[in-house]
Amino acid sequence: MSDESGTAVILAAGEGRRLEPLTNRRPKPMVPVANRPLLEHVIDSVVAAGIDRIVLVVGYKQERIRNHFRDGNDWGVTIEYVEQSTQLGTGHAVLQAEPVVDGPFVVLNGDRIVDADAVSAVRDRLRDGDAPLVTVTAVEEPRDYGVVHLDGDRVTEIDEKPEGSVHTNRINAGVYGFSSAIFDAIRATNTAGELAITATLNDLAERDTVTSLGYGGRWLDVSNLWDVLTVNAALIHDSDHAREAPATGQRIGDTVTVADDVVLAGNVRVGPNATLSGATAVGSNVTIAANAVVENSVVFPDAVIGPGAVVRDAVVAGNAQIGPNATVVGGEATVVVGDAVHRDVTLGGVVGDNATIGGSATLTDGAVVGDGVRAEAGVVLDGRVESGAVVRRG
Amino acid sequence: MCGIIGYIGDLHAADGGVSGDGGVSSETADETPGSVGEIVHRGLKNLEYRGYDSAGVALVGPTSGLTVAKRSGEVDRLTVPDVPDATLGVGHTRWSTHGPPTDANAHPHTDCAGDVAVVHNGIIENYEALKAELADHTFTSETDTEVIPHLIEEELASDPDADLLDAVRRVEDRLEGSYGICAVREDDDRIVVARRGSPLVLGRGENASFVASDVTAFLEHTRNVTYLEDGDVAALSPDGIEIFASGEPVEREIETVTWEADAAEKGGYEHYMRKEIHEQPTALRQTIAGRLDVDNGNVDLDVSFPPGFLADLEEIRIVACGTSYYAGRYAAQLFEELAGVRTSVEIASEYEFGAGRTPDRTLVVAVTQSGETADTLSAIRRANAAGARTFAVTNTLGSTVTREVDETAFIRAGPEIGVAATKTFASQVATLAMLAVSVGRDRGALAAADARSVLNDLQGLPGAVQQVLDEEKQVREAAREYQDSEAFFFVGRALGVPVALEGALKLKEISYDHAEGFAAGELKHGPLALVTPDTPVLAVLTEGSRAGETMNNVTEAQTRGAPALGCVSAGEAYNTLDTAFEVPDVGTVEPLVANVYLQLFAYHVANEKGRPIDKPRNLAKSVTVE
Repeated sequence: MSDESGTAVILAAGEGRRLEPLTNRRPKPMVPVANRPLLEHVIDSVVAAGIDRIVLVVGYKQERIRNHFRDGNDWGVTIEYVEQSTQLGTGHAVLQAEPVVDGPFVVLNGDRIVDADAVSAVRDRLRDGDAPLVTVTAVEEPRDYGVVHLDGDRVTEIDEKPEGSVHTNRINAGVYGFSSAIFDAIRATNTAGELAITATLNDLAERDTVTSLGYGGRWLDVSNLWDVLTVNAALIHDSDHAREAPATGQRIGDTVTVADDVVLAGNVRVGPNATLSGATAVGSNVTIAANAVVENSVVFPDAVIGPGAVVRDAVVAGNAQIGPNATVVGGEATVVVGDAVHRDVTLGGVVGDNATIGGSATLTDGAVVGDGVRAEAGVVLDGRVESGAVVRRG
Repeated sequence: MCGIIGYIGDLHAADGGVSGDGGVSSETADETPGSVGEIVHRGLKNLEYRGYDSAGVALVGPTSGLTVAKRSGEVDRLTVPDVPDATLGVGHTRWSTHGPPTDANAHPHTDCAGDVAVVHNGIIENYEALKAELADHTFTSETDTEVIPHLIEEELASDPDADLLDAVRRVEDRLEGSYGICAVREDDDRIVVARRGSPLVLGRGENASFVASDVTAFLEHTRNVTYLEDGDVAALSPDGIEIFASGEPVEREIETVTWEADAAEKGGYEHYMRKEIHEQPTALRQTIAGRLDVDNGNVDLDVSFPPGFLADLEEIRIVACGTSYYAGRYAAQLFEELAGVRTSVEIASEYEFGAGRTPDRTLVVAVTQSGETADTLSAIRRANAAGARTFAVTNTLGSTVTREVDETAFIRAGPEIGVAATKTFASQVATLAMLAVSVGRDRGALAAADARSVLNDLQGLPGAVQQVLDEEKQVREAAREYQDSEAFFFVGRALGVPVALEGALKLKEISYDHAEGFAAGELKHGPLALVTPDTPVLAVLTEGSRAGETMNNVTEAQTRGAPALGCVSAGEAYNTLDTAFEVPDVGTVEPLVANVYLQLFAYHVANEKGRPIDKPRNLAKSVTVE
């Protein structure tokens, strides 16, 4: 816990509404990709950077986070928790860490995966006494993020989701370095509504030096449901990051095909003649029955995929049951999230926690089935099915 | 229940820690181990959950001699004396059996001269007779333990050539009962220990040796351990450990503990109990991992029976105490239904082999989380003596019960620290259910299709429990609403009965409220007289618990004004309930899932009242006295 190795504050209190129904029962940082929660991938990078004390700011469904990470011993670090009981923005979240943070610290988002380099670069600059620091990375669609305007390496403005034309692809990567002076700055920030950390940084940029740090490494963001699949695939293909799954307790049937881009948790059952391929992650206590085909999908713990089912480009959440010969067609789809229409995204469908899809039912065109839904045999599902709904034939 | 720790070595002198091959845990790696007193004190802290109404230490140094400090109250309240020259020490946390928790009754106990100090777990049954023989000795406590240092003093006085090891061996011959003893003496650089009936484990670091009632006491120092057997006497000296059985030196196997002491830490939770309730999906996934062959309707528990034994089996008798007993009650119904064997459940302390039974056609199954429960061990010994085949279902590798029985199935729930058992109940029932399927299939009593259905239910158990945990808020609100009630009654039928009994036990253990569980049909045969508008009734109304009939009994209570709460199968509705908790559809294990609601209810009632949930008064985790 020495000052040498430093402290990281990770913001993990948010709900992640855009990932509904996956976030109905878990906070967004606990959505699993490559069989481990997003937040665990973030923590891995922090640990790899040599930081041995982590403060998690938790709120929404925090039991899931506490239960998984406990006191950090499994990662060889100390994890402490502070609670943000109402989600009033990222600045407010950082403020919750004030009582337990002493000296400079790194701040990360619990749902954005970066390399250890991004963390150690900030930590090293903090040792030199530079703060505040904002890590900046380049993306193809800057408009969805906080666009960063620079003067040399000085940040002049962070423009959240700008509406007008954008002349840079540099965005705020969400990795910051602060000294404890940031807490007074956050308190001094005048905002109506949410207290975003970027608002404080914009205030500071007018008076003081806010330094930018370029970062060109991996930057994986799960904003929308289909990002679960792309981020999962990116992590599985990144062999450095594909941690060997414990091989204990698996029961794999005869003539099963498991491609080398599939990660299976220790305790899964796969029936005969099943085929698993294409960047697929299968969680603990999952059953994949005989003759099933699972491709480019993320299957959460306790789910059951019935005999002969075909599941492509899909997210199957915890304890969901896919009936015999049910099909998630897969491929590109047009998905509506809130008021926004997203065309040509690769998403076969999403099956929420504890939902039951009857035998020979079909999910098509990126259907998003809420949690606890009961869809009877043979139904065709597309669009959004609200949580708890019962879908009958006819 | 009581805890023992002993340490000897040069850890306290060194800057770094010792290790076997397992190394020092990261948490302690950069801390210096501290003085002998501090090492012993930390060991006591690690053991605190086992017993906690008094604590004490004895430290021995070449010039300071023997220094004893002890008092009633928690370990934190004990001030460990500063003895810079100490080379060894023993410590004890006590949970009172003989004599109330007072400073005088706390261990260590000493002889008249104050040269010998002893800590002890267990019971000396003949201590009154022994005490009568020691008429010229001055006793300062009401404990059975105190006879031991005085007996050692006698032996040392009567034979000038005898040393502490000789004296302990001779005294040990005269003691009746169950015990684990650690003795130290001024001007002797050894700790001498003896085991009969109470667990003692030795820790073998490179530069230090440890003895404890439970490995968690010293796991931060070494993972290489030796479990002593009954009748063993051992001497821990600066040169290492010597073990004797019947006076002859013996070698005992050195085992490596693989689980993490950290796994026993409560992380982000305010109480171990809540953490352990929330760990149930993970624990259950471990319990069933690799064991279910759903397609073939088989179970692979890695246990074996002599050929023909199961086919000829006449009776299964489950022996257990407390929560494990209720797990046994749940399992007994499954054994009869799935394995087609007559099954009875006995409270271990009441168990006798009994008349009219054929030993070689009887399987006696001990259910014990710790594997050290004295009542259960004693029952298993009676079963072994009668010639029955014995079996253990336990959470603890290397525990005593595993050495006493013919075959063991582990529940693999991970360490459980909260005194109130939660996740181990679920894992015990799941393990016993798998055993029932296994026995049923072996006997040809269970069709593959029926087995598959049960295995499907078991496979769905972790997900169903997670669904219940996600509803914690609803339970917390109900707990707030009813916490001030006069009493709580839990009812169910069939598989709902053991769950009702367990639900009531949880609540009484941690909230100190009056709570009773009944078979729902019994309500009208007496207990209904207790029902008032101030006594909520909590009912198990799931599959496997004859919900319709149970609801009739609930209505009887409601007619007398009692509020009614029910755990109800998904898709069913009992509109008259004041609160309904939904239980996902998992067939024959639905009552087990309902139990999670009752665990949460007990937790939140106790938490609202500010009870010391992990250390309820008068209770200890591992009950190693009969």
